[in-house]
Amino acid sequence: MLKDITFGQYFDSKSIIHRIDPRNKIILMILFIVFIFLSQNFFALLLACACVFSVILVSKVPLKMYLKNMKAILPVLIFTAIINLFYGEGGKVLLSFWFIEITTVGIYKSLFMALRILLLIFISSALTYTTTPNDLTDAIESLLSPLRFIGLGSAVHILAMMMSIALRFIPTLIEEAEKIMNAQKARGADLENGTLIERVKALIPILIPLLISSVRRAYELAEAMECRCYNGGEGKTRMKQMHLGLIDLGSCIAVVIMCSAIILCNILF
Amino acid sequence: MAILEVKNLTHTYGGSSPFINDAVKNVSFCVEKGEIIGIIGHTGSGKSTLVQHLNGLLKPTEGEILFENTDIWENPKEIRKIRSKIGLVFQYPEYQLFEETVFADIAFGPKNMGLKDEELTACVNEICEIVGVKKEYLQKSPFDLSGGEKRRVAIAGVMAMKPQVIVFDEPTAGLDPKGREDVMQIIKDYRAATNATVIIISHSMEDMALLADKILVLSKGEVYKFGKVEEVFASAEELRKIGLNVPIVTRVFYELKKQGLDVKTDIFTVDSAAQYLKTLKEGKENA
Amino acid sequence: MDNIIELKNVTFEYTEEDAVYAAVKDLNLNIKRGDFTVVLGHNGSGKSTLAKLLNGLNKPTHGDVLVDGINTRDEENEINIKRKVGMVFQNPDNQLVASIVEEDVAFGPENLGLAPDVIRSRVDDALKAVGMYEFKDSTPHRLSGGQKQRIAIAGIIAMEPECLVLDEPTAMLDPKGRAEIIETVLRLNKEKGITVVLITHYMEEAEKADRVIVMNDGVIIEDNTPKEVFKNVESLKKVGLDVPQTTELLYELSKNGFEINTNIISIEEAAKEIKNALHLEEN
Repeated sequence: MLKDITFGQYFDSKSIIHRIDPRNKIILMILFIVFIFLSQNFFALLLACACVFSVILVSKVPLKMYLKNMKAILPVLIFTAIINLFYGEGGKVLLSFWFIEITTVGIYKSLFMALRILLLIFISSALTYTTTPNDLTDAIESLLSPLRFIGLGSAVHILAMMMSIALRFIPTLIEEAEKIMNAQKARGADLENGTLIERVKALIPILIPLLISSVRRAYELAEAMECRCYNGGEGKTRMKQMHLGLIDLGSCIAVVIMCSAIILCNILF
Repeated sequence: MAILEVKNLTHTYGGSSPFINDAVKNVSFCVEKGEIIGIIGHTGSGKSTLVQHLNGLLKPTEGEILFENTDIWENPKEIRKIRSKIGLVFQYPEYQLFEETVFADIAFGPKNMGLKDEELTACVNEICEIVGVKKEYLQKSPFDLSGGEKRRVAIAGVMAMKPQVIVFDEPTAGLDPKGREDVMQIIKDYRAATNATVIIISHSMEDMALLADKILVLSKGEVYKFGKVEEVFASAEELRKIGLNVPIVTRVFYELKKQGLDVKTDIFTVDSAAQYLKTLKEGKENA
Repeated sequence: MDNIIELKNVTFEYTEEDAVYAAVKDLNLNIKRGDFTVVLGHNGSGKSTLAKLLNGLNKPTHGDVLVDGINTRDEENEINIKRKVGMVFQNPDNQLVASIVEEDVAFGPENLGLAPDVIRSRVDDALKAVGMYEFKDSTPHRLSGGQKQRIAIAGIIAMEPECLVLDEPTAMLDPKGRAEIIETVLRLNKEKGITVVLITHYMEEAEKADRVIVMNDGVIIEDNTPKEVFKNVESLKKVGLDVPQTTELLYELSKNGFEINTNIISIEEAAKEIKNALHLEEN
């Protein structure tokens, strides 16, 4: 159950996308997302779809992995689709019930929104699957580094460090939560039945041990980091240097072409 | 009489999960009432997966688990009742402590079974008596206790439900010798008081030789061997094939044999070894 | 200088519920460069406190700890001391900071501000030294406990410390993992000449050490070669240590009138010893 969460997990399939500079990758992804939302008609969106799927193909990460992320977000997707279904004004009325009217425009809008969100998830999954969490945080740190000119240098470092440690410990804590849950179930705890209040109460025997063990872990980790000469990131260097190379130039060109094509679709159709 | 029977149990995890899981394949064995069964096998041999089926924390992909001749999943709504009859003590059980006082923590299990007021107090007091939780600890916070005492309280928390079968997943992991001895004593005391059937996962062949009646050897999710301690340890060669071994003291006798001495090799504890060598020596002296 | 670490009249006190306890009492100890020292003791004997005193994680209440001649109280040299004396802890999960093995190993050298290509070669060397090079791109949570602990060791030796302190590194591991760690540490000591201080309650892990120190109640009660220390099985058992079955058997036999040495851990030697004892009586 908890183990199905794969979001934020790196998948080492050694594709060309893996080799794009993570900073570049983040910027390109943001650019791409902006253009997904700028696509105003189905042709533009279809083109965006094609682009996203070519990214998925090139990433060499199995489609199954992407679909799994979709599963996690499915409720949101359905919710958005349904809301948009009711807000479509105009077009042919297909179904009318009390104050609710479902129109062709509604269906169109709802599909359109759902597809946009789906693409958004796929493209951000492509980023996390092809970039190690550490590269990601390094890239964010590097991208935010101009903030040091307004005296926020150490804040940026702390933020990046926190993110990378959080990412490192997510699987560990998920595993631990599951273990504690099973241990309490073995003592007869009922986690599945009861009223809402009873269910919230039933979480206490899980959350308290989890909290206590997290505090213990944090303390031990801090000591271990101290022993590894960590002193707040001052004078820290990096083993993996980020270099902009030909791949980055190529990927930039590719994304610019895709985005221009989307704009072209917007204008033409 | 068989109290617990595992029939053709198979469990496979969803293949795409990024976590390592140890599956079990077509496992069958039978536990008689009052026995102590040791389960040995490497990390990843399926031990933990197997024991989580015994009290219905995991549902078999195939096969069934019979408790007193009834399938434990016969009525899925009643599975929580099974969990109080077949207790499971996880690895590092002290990490599941959460209540404000030791008393409340031990009472958690029995309370979930529906015990109240005097009944509940009596139940907790009784188990504390059996496993040796000191009276003055009862109103303390469990987090103020030492490591070994925390584990004692956590084990008492499962025993308080008075399970007829109690399963331990490496109960002595991470403890020092004194702590290990204490845990072994708790298990013996509970058994003496309740006649419970005990199943223990352990890496220590030496502990198994001292404690168990029968041993179940798992390898790659399958039953590699199941039988009396003597039978299982008699095949040192076969155990070595899957990277396990017989108790150290037994290996000494294999070595003696290799060095040309005519000795028995079916000796599994230090006491019996000393006894045997003593008689051997006296025999020579008298000859 | 011959000693990498010197402890001079070191006492470490802590307060709990308004009472003051001494975890380590007036300790004098020198760790010789290149030695493999094992510190034995049960939980609460003060051995973990001692470990943390060795690299300045704990500062002595009284007395001084000198690392390569530098006092651990010297704030200026804090990082320098931590680099010279690396430390590995019990729980492998709580020592790893990065989600990729090689990035984790690089953490220490990165903090030291080394050049990228130097870090790269140190990381590769460290991973090879612990036999985990082929896992450099894996994520730690998919590895076994023993493998994770070896990554933790690699993370320390990538800083090229002169001394490696390990605080019960095998306590949470299965027998296979334990063997891996002991084998790795021994090799680092023999091949790379790293001074090792291994803290444990398993007596068999001390078998191949140059020197064994037994602690109880904050003081050193024995300090000698393994053979000499293990002669006294009775006193080891009394301070709650784990005596392996071979030693235990020899001890039982010696109590039962066998003329036999008890300071033996390996199975082969034990068998030889028993054989000799039996033959001796024969003649």
